[in-house]
Amino acid sequence: MEVKEKKKKNAESVAEKTYQNQQLIVFRLGQEEYALHIDQVKEVVITPHITRMPQTPSFVRGVANIRGNIIAIIDLEEKFGLSVGLEEPSKQANNFTLVIESEEFKIGVLVKEVPNTLSISEADIEETSNVIHEAGVESGYIKGVAKSGDRLIILIDILKIMSEKEFDMLTRKQALA
Amino acid sequence: MASKEKEYQELFTAEALENQEELNRLLTSLEKNPSDKAAINSIFRITHTLKGNAAGLGYTSIAEMAHVLEDLFGEIRAGKFVLEAEVFSSIYKSIDILSELIQALGTDKVVRYKGIKTKLEVLIKNKVNQAPSETAQEEAPAKTASEEIIPQESIEAVAEEASTETSEASESDNKISFSDLVQVPVRKLDNLLNLVGELIIERDRLIAQNQHTRSNEYSRLNRISSDLQYSVMDVRLVQVGFLFNKFHRVVRDAASVEAKQVNLKLEGIDTEIDRNILQIISDSLIHIVRNCVGHGIEMPDARKKLSKPEQGQITMRARSESEGVIIEITDDGKGIDAEVVKKKAIEKGLLLPEIAKNLSPREILMYIFEPGFSTAEKVTAISGRGVGMDVVKKAIDSVGGTIDVETEMGKGTTIRLALPSSMAVKGTLLFQLADTEYAIPLAYTEAVVSLYKKDIHKVSFGLVTQYQGKAIGLVFLSDLFFGEEAASEGTPYLQKGYSEIQEKQKLDVIVVNYGGKTVGFVVDKLLQQKEIVEKPLSRPVDVVKFIGGVTILGNGNVCLVLHIPAILSHIYNYNYTQSRRKLAVSPN
Repeated sequence: MEVKEKKKKNAESVAEKTYQNQQLIVFRLGQEEYALHIDQVKEVVITPHITRMPQTPSFVRGVANIRGNIIAIIDLEEKFGLSVGLEEPSKQANNFTLVIESEEFKIGVLVKEVPNTLSISEADIEETSNVIHEAGVESGYIKGVAKSGDRLIILIDILKIMSEKEFDMLTRKQALA
Repeated sequence: MASKEKEYQELFTAEALENQEELNRLLTSLEKNPSDKAAINSIFRITHTLKGNAAGLGYTSIAEMAHVLEDLFGEIRAGKFVLEAEVFSSIYKSIDILSELIQALGTDKVVRYKGIKTKLEVLIKNKVNQAPSETAQEEAPAKTASEEIIPQESIEAVAEEASTETSEASESDNKISFSDLVQVPVRKLDNLLNLVGELIIERDRLIAQNQHTRSNEYSRLNRISSDLQYSVMDVRLVQVGFLFNKFHRVVRDAASVEAKQVNLKLEGIDTEIDRNILQIISDSLIHIVRNCVGHGIEMPDARKKLSKPEQGQITMRARSESEGVIIEITDDGKGIDAEVVKKKAIEKGLLLPEIAKNLSPREILMYIFEPGFSTAEKVTAISGRGVGMDVVKKAIDSVGGTIDVETEMGKGTTIRLALPSSMAVKGTLLFQLADTEYAIPLAYTEAVVSLYKKDIHKVSFGLVTQYQGKAIGLVFLSDLFFGEEAASEGTPYLQKGYSEIQEKQKLDVIVVNYGGKTVGFVVDKLLQQKEIVEKPLSRPVDVVKFIGGVTILGNGNVCLVLHIPAILSHIYNYNYTQSRRKLAVSPN
């Protein structure tokens, strides 16, 4: 009897593992919905005054003071080229900033609307092998596409976006100058 | 528990390293005057204490090493052992090993020390046995002793006896005394200073917010926090002698490798400077001093011919000035030949002959700080292979200091470092550019002037104006910071701002000076002078070269602090590469 129960429990926990729920922070970029894993987001604040920074790529809007920390603020619409065809990007209000914290750095990501949280089963997240990439563009930061009803949400790994390449490019530019 | 142990270890290491420095100092003076009784006594005492402390904490290797040294100097003190030149090399070696042992504490590093220890033991054994044989009465027993192989233990026992005797004698005039000093690990001070910095920023923000309502309420807060800030900065100050004293050994080693005779003189060793700045520049100072020995001071016979004293003189001098601390390193060697520097700089492609013609000797001399420059004809162990002076300059830049060189052929060279006395607070000039506030450290600013379009001329790829009868470069900072992408192909982007201004528009210009180069920066609006607490840039924007750090203003906005050395080198490299490209095209 006991053994049977244990087996049942084991089976249950296996099932739980396979269909664990993921907590996501969902926000709108351009016409699409994007999401970050909740662990990567430390807080959401009203966007403070941003000081423009020389020698940075255009998607780095500058630095801002968030609770005494100086944090680089980036614009993912600019980075992903999602503002193309829309009105002048600087005229749109980027009202909120997602503060992202990792061991290596802190950055702020600009968003227009209050982001929502969404709990979604892992089973509803699809691997990215079917997504079409532009050749030469690093795609490691797209973790998957989540389905929620008829919504398609692009799940990204923000830490990968800020890693190496873009800033390598930046330093190389300086070395050449 | 473990942290307590770690703290003890930190304390021991700090004290032991101090001891080891003192040993070096005493030893160099003893080498010059081998009969100096006071020095011998001090060395004996220091090694004795070191042995005791090390044994107490269970650091056997250090205790053993100190023990042998103690024995040796015990014998020397008793007059049984005569110091000879060759013995010194062994003693120096043993002190080096000792310092390695101390530094290896808390790490997994294994330092071999048995070899030198045995060598010293043998030295003691031989000498102690020889000494009595010279006196007639003890000839017979001494002979037998030297013929037989004496067991190690008995020698140690004898030595032990000698040392216990002497320590007993000295104990009677020792009193237990409590030091008035507290030793604090530097990281705790760093933390304290950071917190004070945050406090000051927060205070400025509060005051700015409540400017119109109850400003008197804050005057007390203002005063107390300022006092606190200066007290913390004061705690971090150390005397430069702390670093300078280590150079007796540096000079001695460098001179002996080059077979030169050099005397080191220290001046103003009680001048105080922030401990971290001292640490950052210490390697640079070593490099400069070695350069003085390697390149500056001539060989003894060459000096004789020039009717200079055979022994060269290097002076390290420190003094406080209103803006910070000046450190000068002077040698009385052959000086630096500007013509040789010019030739080398052109050879290495650092300088164009066309440009070189118009440079003053002083401007030419600054090329010794360029990466990849070395005037040494041959590579030696001391003066290295030309990876040096540029690293020195970078280190000085990083703390917001400046470096300068003065030389006279045949008379000698002086390298002058102007350093801030504290890294925490910087005097800056605030200005506005494209609705953003920036700060320039006052250490680099020379003047503020107003110009009109008619005062500015296009030359080559940049702009030029007159300042005090001299032509200086002029840069619109907006072009430099944000103009690069905007400029159309073919037109130099540094002239973009010029083409956009009106004839009657008055321009605010900040004249900065760094490394012998003077440049005017056109800004939108001058604001005020302000003391700021600078914070370093954090990842991922720490790769931005133009900005050295940031501060938070009273209104909560981020203010960028310009890194003038990087900006100037960028401007000049730009002009240089552009003119190079032009020259490559024009010969046809």
